[in-house]
Amino acid sequence: MTRDPETHFGARTVSEAEKPGLVQGVFTSVASRYDLMNDLMSGGTHRLWKSAMIDWLAPRDGWRMLDVAGGTGDISFRTLERINKRGSRGDVTVCDLTEDMLRAGRTRSESERLADQLSWVTGDAMQLPFEDAQFDAYTISFGIRNVTRINDALAEAFRVLKPGGRFLCLEFSAMTVPLAQKAYDTYSFNVIPRIGQVVANDRDSYQYLVESIRRFPVQQQFGQMIEGAGFEQVKWRNLSGGIAALHSGWKL
Amino acid sequence: MTDIDEDPAAEPRLVDPKLLEALVCPVSRGPLSYDRAAQELVSERAKLAYPIRDGIPIMLSDEARQLD
Repeated sequence: MTRDPETHFGARTVSEAEKPGLVQGVFTSVASRYDLMNDLMSGGTHRLWKSAMIDWLAPRDGWRMLDVAGGTGDISFRTLERINKRGSRGDVTVCDLTEDMLRAGRTRSESERLADQLSWVTGDAMQLPFEDAQFDAYTISFGIRNVTRINDALAEAFRVLKPGGRFLCLEFSAMTVPLAQKAYDTYSFNVIPRIGQVVANDRDSYQYLVESIRRFPVQQQFGQMIEGAGFEQVKWRNLSGGIAALHSGWKL
Repeated sequence: MTDIDEDPAAEPRLVDPKLLEALVCPVSRGPLSYDRAAQELVSERAKLAYPIRDGIPIMLSDEARQLD
């Protein structure tokens, strides 16, 4: 008898086969209030982090970008707004495991008049439904932590990027000052699931979010994984003392 | 089937043609053919048909229909 390989779902150990369904459950459950929850959980700080991401990304005219786990469209809208402000154009494909997140994003894109620059597709970061060498940039914001096999997702990112393409990831990370990390852990384990309970009536999903943050590899370790997938000039920047970090790499 | 005579409000949302060109089967990485009537993307190589729901292709093998 063979046993399924095991992985983590927050603090629980689950089989690898089970995880995508559980992650989908979390995001189906939070989809409609996801953006509001992010504001409440981070005190609005996630907006600054996302701005920092677009600054470092420095999107170029005519780009074709893939935004993985891009759900409600936050990163893709910001990227397109940045390009459009220059009177230029770009296109973004948003790929997410959860259909309801995409629907929420698409509805938003229609009210922001960005719909014709966006495509929406349900797909798995570990098995992307795209040809090789299609995109100028690959972004993933608060998504890679939820992927069962991170190395598979990184390999897929490398595959679908054109030579010269850019990988940029925003994710929760580890604080550089241990005492601050302790205070943050206390806050996140006690306060965030309660906010989730009150606002989204869903404590468990937010409990999962908090636990999955702690499980995620620290900055240097994640940087090495990105290099392991073939990316070059891998660098990272800490945000808010390391509560989140941006990781960048190039397919050269 | 024609597009012209139908009420646009009753017409299901169609998938973006630009997107269709870039898509491959996530399992076999083979080509897909678009079955407009069934709203499916068919991978002959993997023997799977991926549904398109409300204009969004669902490119997950778990959600695909197995072909004979």
